[in-house]
Amino acid sequence: MAPASSETFKARKARLRAAFLDQLPQRLREARVHLTRLPDHAALVALELAFHTIKGSSGSFGLTTITDLAREADDVLKAALAAGTPIAPGSLATLTAVFERFDALDLGAADRADPAERYGFESEPLPPGPVPGQMTEETPGPAHDHASRRCEQLVYLCDDDSDLAQELCAQLACFGYCVTALTTLEALRAAVIADPPAAVIMDVMFPEGEHAGPATIAALGVETGHAIPSMYISGRGDFQARLQAVQAGGSAYCTKPVKTTELVEFLDALTNRETPTPFHVLVVDDEPAVAQLHAMILEEAGMITAVATDPAQVLDLLKGFNADLVLMDIHMPACSGPELARVLRQMAGYLSLPIIYLSSETDRERQFEALEVGADGFLTKPVEPARLVTEVSLRAERMRTLHSLMVRDGLTGLFNHNTIMQLLDLGVANARRDHQPLCFAMIDVDRFKRVNDTYGHPAGDQVLMALSRGLRLRLRDSDVVGRYGGEEFAVVFPGVDVQQARDILDQLRMSFAAVLFYAGNATFNCTFSAGVAAFPLWSSADALTEAADLALYRAKRGGRDRVEIAVMPDASGDLARDRSGEDRDGH
Amino acid sequence: MHILIVDDDPLAGELVAALLEDQGHECRLAENGIEALEQLGADDGIELVISDLNMPLVSGLDLFAELRERGLALPFVLLTGDDPADILAQTPGLSAALMKDAALEEALPVLVATLAGAARP
Repeated sequence: MAPASSETFKARKARLRAAFLDQLPQRLREARVHLTRLPDHAALVALELAFHTIKGSSGSFGLTTITDLAREADDVLKAALAAGTPIAPGSLATLTAVFERFDALDLGAADRADPAERYGFESEPLPPGPVPGQMTEETPGPAHDHASRRCEQLVYLCDDDSDLAQELCAQLACFGYCVTALTTLEALRAAVIADPPAAVIMDVMFPEGEHAGPATIAALGVETGHAIPSMYISGRGDFQARLQAVQAGGSAYCTKPVKTTELVEFLDALTNRETPTPFHVLVVDDEPAVAQLHAMILEEAGMITAVATDPAQVLDLLKGFNADLVLMDIHMPACSGPELARVLRQMAGYLSLPIIYLSSETDRERQFEALEVGADGFLTKPVEPARLVTEVSLRAERMRTLHSLMVRDGLTGLFNHNTIMQLLDLGVANARRDHQPLCFAMIDVDRFKRVNDTYGHPAGDQVLMALSRGLRLRLRDSDVVGRYGGEEFAVVFPGVDVQQARDILDQLRMSFAAVLFYAGNATFNCTFSAGVAAFPLWSSADALTEAADLALYRAKRGGRDRVEIAVMPDASGDLARDRSGEDRDGH
Repeated sequence: MHILIVDDDPLAGELVAALLEDQGHECRLAENGIEALEQLGADDGIELVISDLNMPLVSGLDLFAELRERGLALPFVLLTGDDPADILAQTPGLSAALMKDAALEEALPVLVATLAGAARP
């Protein structure tokens, strides 16, 4: 490892260590609350865990005095837990002594005594990794306006590796961005001054210096008198490089190899000044006046709210509301906040829905108990409006970002396998309830392996991105498109019968076959095959998947570049063998 | 290597991440066992789990058992505040158990490098 990078780990460790020391008094105060509640068993468990955590973390930071003290307390508490008897007076005295010795350490002073280790970034913490900061939920489906607007935006990409720059530009073109590649800082400077861009994608390291990228952007900002909207791509993920990028005003940082979809999300955020979808918050409080007040505060901050004054309404209200967060009172008759939280956590769809409690409960222990059920935060009434808005938007934002990373495929930005299967389940349930048709299609790029082998993986990726983009643009908002795996895609068409699904897919198939792909000097075309299965002929997600897969297999066997409809299982065997490729209209 | 780090103390988790990211690994953090399972379910690219032992609700050992029950055989390293010898002896299938102390900074990168080597023949 180069010395520079071990420096960085040291810096990051120092920052974390300082944060740990900052938090320690608060952790000890919380532990003290547990201590006063002994011999209550839950308090004993909580106290043991608190000291155990302090022991482990301080050990990792090399803070041996703290580790030793915490171990002393932890050993006593472990023994008491193992014995299953109330804690002995002698042990209680040991614990009290440990607290006193912690106080004597004067943690605040120890913390200040080492200013060199404090870097002062606490007020503006850097993201821990290349996590997109400001993605907005994008629904798959038609987005023609959005796409055409992208190309009017001037974007520069500056990287001294010209192959990489060209490849990234080609990939971004698949998403509708016309990006100009520049390979020297001088060329970028000239371009920015001649024609100010909507965004610059910038490498960090150049022959001119290891932070020459951010330095150039910063200098250009001074020279032109306004900040250059920029984001960074770099092979380095270390702290110094990230810090330089942030100080030069960079709004995002992607480490190489760069995921194109991540770049696109950032570019969308940088170049689209549209307001993102407002947060949707469900407010649950048995006091209508209080519920309305909180809803009003959030709405004034631009959010959309729904109000439930009875926990029993919550499940119905959540359906179709697309909540980003639930704000709930902790004390309600018939069903408490924690009980309601537990109900929600036991439903797969709401496992990760952020929950914040609002209550006049000031007893910390009770607060912790409530949080243990799986809520994300606690606000004490009366809450200041600004604080409420901040807490709610921070958590909702983070959840959206995490959610979007979790459910989407990295290359194509489509829903991933797990998500598409969940959405198929949901679609089948809705179709059954509403007595509506539904189709499920599996799409597979023909001879994809040959594309990869002949033209290389970047060309293969281009094909996948182009197909996924075609699917996103041409299908309706209500259609769900996902990457099923490898070169396989899946589409759920709610409310569509099998003939309509076939027509839609045939149109897609023909336009995709007409797309010309570039790989170096060579050009090539690609086709896909699709299999479609219809509800209610197949009545479950599993049955639909299997039938569509079988139909896809027949499409491949029948010569590829075609759409096949699944037929009833008792006939399909014969059909696959004898009548493959036959066009069966009139379904 | 793509690594999922599970620790109920986010600071301790981030320290481990800082240590391993410095070695060029890609780390994700989870603050409890449930979150870890969610992340593992959503991302099949994770190649190694490094988990704290003592956590509320779902302990590191519970998480390990749950993963094996789900048929996930990826390497699993436990970090603990106590002497890890007993737990290592009692838990077949664990890749390693390391004590959280100042030596972790030396030991963990070496261990992970070895595991990464084993994963890529």
